[in-house]
Amino acid sequence: MTARSVGRRVAKAWSDLGLGAKGLIVVALPLAILLAGIGALHLSGRAEAEAEDRVRLTFAIQRDIHEVHALLAEAASGVRGYRLTGRRAFLEPYVKAEALLPTTLDRLRRTARDPEIRSRLARVDALVVLKREGLAQLAAMPGAGTSAGLEAPDVARALVANKAVLDELRAEIDAMQRREAELLEQRRARADAERRRTWILTAVMAGIGLLGGLAAAQLLFTGIVRRVRGLERDAERLERGEPLDRADEAQDEIGRLARRLVEASELLRSREAALREGEERYRRVIEGVRDYGIFALDVDGRVVSWNAGAERIKGWTADEILGRHFSVFYPAEARDETPPRLLEIARRDGRVEDEGWRVRRDGDRFWANVVITALRDGAGTLTGFSKVTRDVTDRRRAEQALGQARAEAERASRAKSEFLSRMSHELRTPLTAILGFNQLTGMDREALTEDQRHAVDQIAKAGGHLLAMIEEVLDIARIEAGGHALAPEPLDVRPVLDDVRNLIAPQAQEAGVEVRVTGDVDARVLADRRAVVQILLNLLSNAIKYGPASAIVTLTVAAGTDRVAIEVTDQGPGVPAEMVDRLFTPFDRLDAERWSGVQGSGLGLALSRGLAEAQSGRLSYASRDGRPGATFILDLPRSAPNGGQS
Amino acid sequence: MRIVPSDDRLKAARILAVDDEAANLSLVERAFRREGFENVITFLDARAALEDFATRPPDLVLLDLMMPGVDGYELLEAFRRLTDDSSYLPILVLTADSTMKARLRALSLGAKDVLLKPYDVGELLLRSWSLLDTRRRFRELPSP
Repeated sequence: MTARSVGRRVAKAWSDLGLGAKGLIVVALPLAILLAGIGALHLSGRAEAEAEDRVRLTFAIQRDIHEVHALLAEAASGVRGYRLTGRRAFLEPYVKAEALLPTTLDRLRRTARDPEIRSRLARVDALVVLKREGLAQLAAMPGAGTSAGLEAPDVARALVANKAVLDELRAEIDAMQRREAELLEQRRARADAERRRTWILTAVMAGIGLLGGLAAAQLLFTGIVRRVRGLERDAERLERGEPLDRADEAQDEIGRLARRLVEASELLRSREAALREGEERYRRVIEGVRDYGIFALDVDGRVVSWNAGAERIKGWTADEILGRHFSVFYPAEARDETPPRLLEIARRDGRVEDEGWRVRRDGDRFWANVVITALRDGAGTLTGFSKVTRDVTDRRRAEQALGQARAEAERASRAKSEFLSRMSHELRTPLTAILGFNQLTGMDREALTEDQRHAVDQIAKAGGHLLAMIEEVLDIARIEAGGHALAPEPLDVRPVLDDVRNLIAPQAQEAGVEVRVTGDVDARVLADRRAVVQILLNLLSNAIKYGPASAIVTLTVAAGTDRVAIEVTDQGPGVPAEMVDRLFTPFDRLDAERWSGVQGSGLGLALSRGLAEAQSGRLSYASRDGRPGATFILDLPRSAPNGGQS
Repeated sequence: MRIVPSDDRLKAARILAVDDEAANLSLVERAFRREGFENVITFLDARAALEDFATRPPDLVLLDLMMPGVDGYELLEAFRRLTDDSSYLPILVLTADSTMKARLRALSLGAKDVLLKPYDVGELLLRSWSLLDTRRRFRELPSP
C-alpha cells in the first residue's frame, strides 16, 4: 500500500465523517496537542527542579563539610589557646563545636548520596571522633596556662597526634570538598541541560500546537468550508439554470446535500426539458395553423406573437407586425372605435366575438370572424389577449348568395301564389256572370219553355263541372307550389272512415252500392284529416262511378309496424295493365268517357296523390292479378297507439 | 217566386255595388231588382264609388276586391275612415280570390261578410237582406 493510497483513504474517511465528528476533531486536535504540551512541560519542569534541588543539596553538603572543618579548626585553635593561656574562654569554640558537630555530621549523613562522599564521611566521622577525643584529652590535661603545661611531653604528643588527625581530617575534607565541587559541576551541567531541554520542548510544543491549529484549520477548510462554498456555487448555478457537475461523493451531510442539489438540478432540467418540449409543440402547432390567424396582444393591444395563418390571412410578416397596435387590421372608419371597444368587452366578459370587415396589408378587405380572449395569470391580473381570426369572406359570400337565392325563391313563390290567386280570379270572374245569370234565368222556371229550361240546366251542370275542375286544377297547382298547408296530426282511423261512409252514402245509395269497412280500424295514423277525407271520398266516388251497380266497395285497414294502409276495392272491371302507368296523370281519363260514359276532369287521382304525398303518404294502384276489380291503396305513417297522444 | 222575405222597409235601401266587371254589376243589379230593390247604384270605377259613398252614405256596399287602380282593400280602409263609429254600415265582399288570406284580410278591414265568386245568387240576396235587416234594427234602436 503506497503512501498516496493511504492518504486517499484517510481523506475519504475524513470526508465521510459526519459534520459533528468533524467539528469535534477540529476542536479537539489543537486542544489535545496543547494538553500534551502542558504535560510534557510539566514533566520537564519537574526534572529541572530536581536537578536544581540536587545543586542546592550539594551546596548544603559543601557548607556542612566546610562547617565541620571550621568547627574542628576553631575548636583546636580554642583548645590550643586554652592550653597557652589557661583561660577557659578559649574553650568556647570547642564547646560550640562539641554541640554542633554531631548534628552537622548527622545532617551530612542524611543528605549525602554520593558513595565516595559517604565513604569519606565514614572516615571523617571516625577522624572527628578521634579529634574530639584528642581535644577533650588535651583540654582535660593539667597545666593549662603554664609553660609546663605546654612543655609536658604528653601534651606535645597529644598536640602532635591531634595535628596528625586534623591533617588527615583536613585531607579528607579537602577531598570531600573537591568531590562536592566536582559533583556540583556535574549537577549544574545537568540542571542546565534540563532547562535547555524544557525550553526546546516548549518551543517544539508551541510549534506542534501551531501546526495542529493549522491542520485543524486546514481540515475545517477542506472538510467543510470549501465544500460549503461548493454548495453555494451549485445553488447559484441552479439559480441560473446551469447544469451541476458530478456531486460530492462523501457520505456526510454536505455530501448528501450536494447530491440532493444534483438530483434537484437533474429533475429541474428534465422538467424544464419537458416544459420546453410542450411549449415547443404548442408553438409549432399554433405557428403551423394556416386556416386561423392566431396571435397574442399585450395589455395595450400591441401584437406580441404571430402565426402562419395570421400571415396568410392578413398579409403581414411577423417582423413587420410585432409591436404594432392591432388597430391596423381595421378599416379606417372603424379603426378608432372598434378595437378599444372589443378589448374593453374582452376585459370585462373574458371573451368577445365579432364579425366584420378587416383590411389586409395590401389594403384588400376581407370579412373576418374574430374571437378575442382575455389572458390572465394565476392571480387574475390581465396579461394580454389572444386573438383568433378567420377569413370567412367565402362563407359570407355564400350566405349572401344563399340569402339572395332564398329571397328569389320567396319572390318566385310569392309570384306563383299571386299568379294562382290571379288565375283563380280570372277564371271565377266570368263564371260568376255565366252561372249568376243562368241561375237568375232559372229562378223563373215557369216563364221558360222546355228547351230553355233544359238549356239553363245544362249550363248550370257544365258550369258546375267547370268550377269543380278549376278548383282541382288550382288545388294541384297549390300543392305543387307548396302552398297547400296540411297539418298532419294523430288521427283515429275509425271515425274518419265513418265520416267518409256518411258523406258518400247518398251517392252510394243512388248507385245501390254497399260500402263495407274491415280490418284494423282501431289503428292511428299521422295525417291531415281534411285531406284524408278528400282522398277517400275521391277513391270511393271513383269506385261507385266506374264499378257495377248493386256491388260492394270495401274499405280495408291494414296496420303495419310504422305504416297504415287503407285499401279501397271495387268489383268493377279494374284498370287494364297497359293503362296503370297513366292513372295518376292529370287530365288523362284513360278513355273513360268512351268506355264508361262517366264524366270527369281526370284530375281526381292526381290531386289525391298530391294530397297523400304532401303528408308523407303514398297513393298507389294494386294489380289484382287478372281478377276483376280495382284496388287503390292509401298508405300513411302510423301514429303511436291510442292514449300516447292527445 | 221571391227569394228574400218581403219587407217594404228594406226596399228603399240604397245599395252600392263596385266591380270592374260590367257583367257582374249587371247581374247584381238585376238580381236585386228582381227582389224589389230599386235603389242599386253600380260603379266600375272605385274613385267614383268612393266619392258617392262620401256624399251619400249607402245602406249596403257590395264590393269586389281585385280591381285595377284603387283596389277593394283600399276602398275598405277609405270607407272605414268615412264611417261614423256609432253607425252600422255593412260591407259584403264578393271576390274571386279563393285564398284564406284574402278573406281574412277583407274581414279584418271591416267587411261584414265575404262571398266567393261565382256565388249562388240566392245566397247573395239572402245575406244582403240579413245585413240590411241588421242595419235597420240598429237604426231603430233608441240613441244612447
